[in-house]
Amino acid sequence: MDKKIIEVKDITKIYKIGDVQVRALRGINLTIHQGEYISIMGPSGSGKSTLMNILGCLDTPTSGTYYLEETNVEKLNDNKLAEIRNKKIGFVFQTFNLLSRSNIINNVELPLIYSSKNNTKDRRLRIMDSLRAVNLTGWEKHKPSELSGGQRQRVAIARALINDPAIILADEPTGNLDSVTGEEIMAIFQKLNQEGRTILIVTHELDIAMHTNKIIYVRDGLIFKEEKVENPIDAFKKLAEMPRLEDRLN
Amino acid sequence: MKRSLENIKVAFQALFLNKLRSFLTMLGIIIGVGAVIIIMAIGSGAQSSIVSNIQSMGTNLLTIEPGRDTTRPGGGPVEFNRNSTPTVRGDLYLSDYKALKNASTLTGAAAIVQRSSTVTYMGVSESVSILGATDDIFKIRNYKISSGNFFNESNVSNSSNVAVIGQQIIDDFFGRIDPIGETIKIDKQNFTIVGTLQSLGSNAMGQNQDAIIIIPVTTAQNKLYGLSTVNNIIAQVKDESLIDQATSEITSILRQQHHILSGKLNDFEIRNPSQMLETMSSVTNTLALMLAGIAAISLLVGGIGIMNIMLVSVTERTREIGIRKAIGAKNKDILTQFLTESIVLSITGGILGIIFAVVISFILSKFAGINTAITATPIILALSFSTLIGLIFGIVPAMRAARLNPIESLRYE
Repeated sequence: MDKKIIEVKDITKIYKIGDVQVRALRGINLTIHQGEYISIMGPSGSGKSTLMNILGCLDTPTSGTYYLEETNVEKLNDNKLAEIRNKKIGFVFQTFNLLSRSNIINNVELPLIYSSKNNTKDRRLRIMDSLRAVNLTGWEKHKPSELSGGQRQRVAIARALINDPAIILADEPTGNLDSVTGEEIMAIFQKLNQEGRTILIVTHELDIAMHTNKIIYVRDGLIFKEEKVENPIDAFKKLAEMPRLEDRLN
Repeated sequence: MKRSLENIKVAFQALFLNKLRSFLTMLGIIIGVGAVIIIMAIGSGAQSSIVSNIQSMGTNLLTIEPGRDTTRPGGGPVEFNRNSTPTVRGDLYLSDYKALKNASTLTGAAAIVQRSSTVTYMGVSESVSILGATDDIFKIRNYKISSGNFFNESNVSNSSNVAVIGQQIIDDFFGRIDPIGETIKIDKQNFTIVGTLQSLGSNAMGQNQDAIIIIPVTTAQNKLYGLSTVNNIIAQVKDESLIDQATSEITSILRQQHHILSGKLNDFEIRNPSQMLETMSSVTNTLALMLAGIAAISLLVGGIGIMNIMLVSVTERTREIGIRKAIGAKNKDILTQFLTESIVLSITGGILGIIFAVVISFILSKFAGINTAITATPIILALSFSTLIGLIFGIVPAMRAARLNPIESLRYE
């Protein structure tokens, strides 16, 4: 078996809203190995966002243990968590979350700014590598507002890749995109996974989840079911079958 | 290094995104810094001209004045120098001058009578200040002859009707006529002009020193004003270091002259030019300090403006803060970023303020004839002060930004 990237045991999360206690997570056990391609599905209010936040080290659990590549995360302070987010996790959000005032290079570079270890020349190379990995070159000096939704999401993925993270966490990465563009993004994830990257996608679209190798269903703060996907959808094949506007116009 | 460069770049981006807002925010700092520098420039300009004027009069000159009654409460004019020794009313005479003239610590002395009289020449009349003096005045005051001669000792002892005139008098009465040998009327008495003075300009108090007619002190006393006293005596000390010795020698000579018993107060007052200098400086310093205080308040108000705008900026950019934190920015990084921004804002304001001040000072000295001197001190002071203001008033908004929860910030619309 490949090495464990994420191992959470019996994680709970309780929010206090006034006097009311909300038990968002009620004991989650989950192990993710190197190279896995997993999706988490669940209706809204199921706790999948809370789980995502905890896995992404944006939040800490109320109880339970969380190991991220041998680091015991649940007891770390804000600064240490920030460092983990910077070095080990690559976030991809539904709304892209790019800095609108910065150009593409600076957006992709952002995690490097907060890790301060590379010289400028090395940085340049890594930025270009990242952009090449998502098939987006020639737009370096443009602002996010000058790019299409699909292109913006690819910038976000390039940004997530730049520090060579242990895992990529994508929260509804295709939620704001049309189906063809969404499929293009899924193709990028598929390619990255084939290159050995560990990817976790949170989605409520079964169609998207079916691209991954394993689906974890979350309901009422618990893992309801884990299911291996027998024949995951090949995004490249599907993309080839999809009707293309250019073809229709010809 | 890269991070602070990035911070400064982001700060400027933010400033340029809201040009008008940034400018209005900086205006408080611009006006504050500008006011501080202009006021200090005018202050030090005035001071340096006063200092050079008093110094040109000679720092080794003591002025002896008749005593005023300082023992009577509320009596006499406002004390020019609060540290002077108390005196009783008294008078000075030519005999005092003669006694002082050969004092061992002095190189010389001059007795002076100063009045205003109507001067007439070829039907033109004007009120002019008349300086009745002994002939030593020319040497002591360092007057330079332009044409003709100074009057001499025998003119003084004979009460001759001779006069030496300043450049302004030449301009006013003679125009292009050579005044030497001409006769003018001072209070209906004829005086022969024997010499003209080189131009002296204005003195420390802004009086025109060229609008002057110098005549023998005895002539002024006997023929014009009917006086037995003199207004004051100027004593020239051999060396600046002997000023204290000279003061005590003059005191003992005059006490003897005036038959003052020991234990009684002096009936004269000795004024020291360096005391005058100090008094003048302290007056201008106090003024400058007061105005600088007002300017500092304006800087403070500017600082509050910066804090206000930074709080708005933090709220507006909550989402950006969320993104940065999700990607690995520590609280410290966000703090530095917003602190950099407020400091950039205030320093930019400070620099614009300095430019503003330099331009205004230039205009003032060029077109309004006000002496200004911009020195490094107020510029350094203003810059560090505005940096400090950016730091102090930026810390609250920056801390608020740093403490934002990344999850909630990412959800912020």
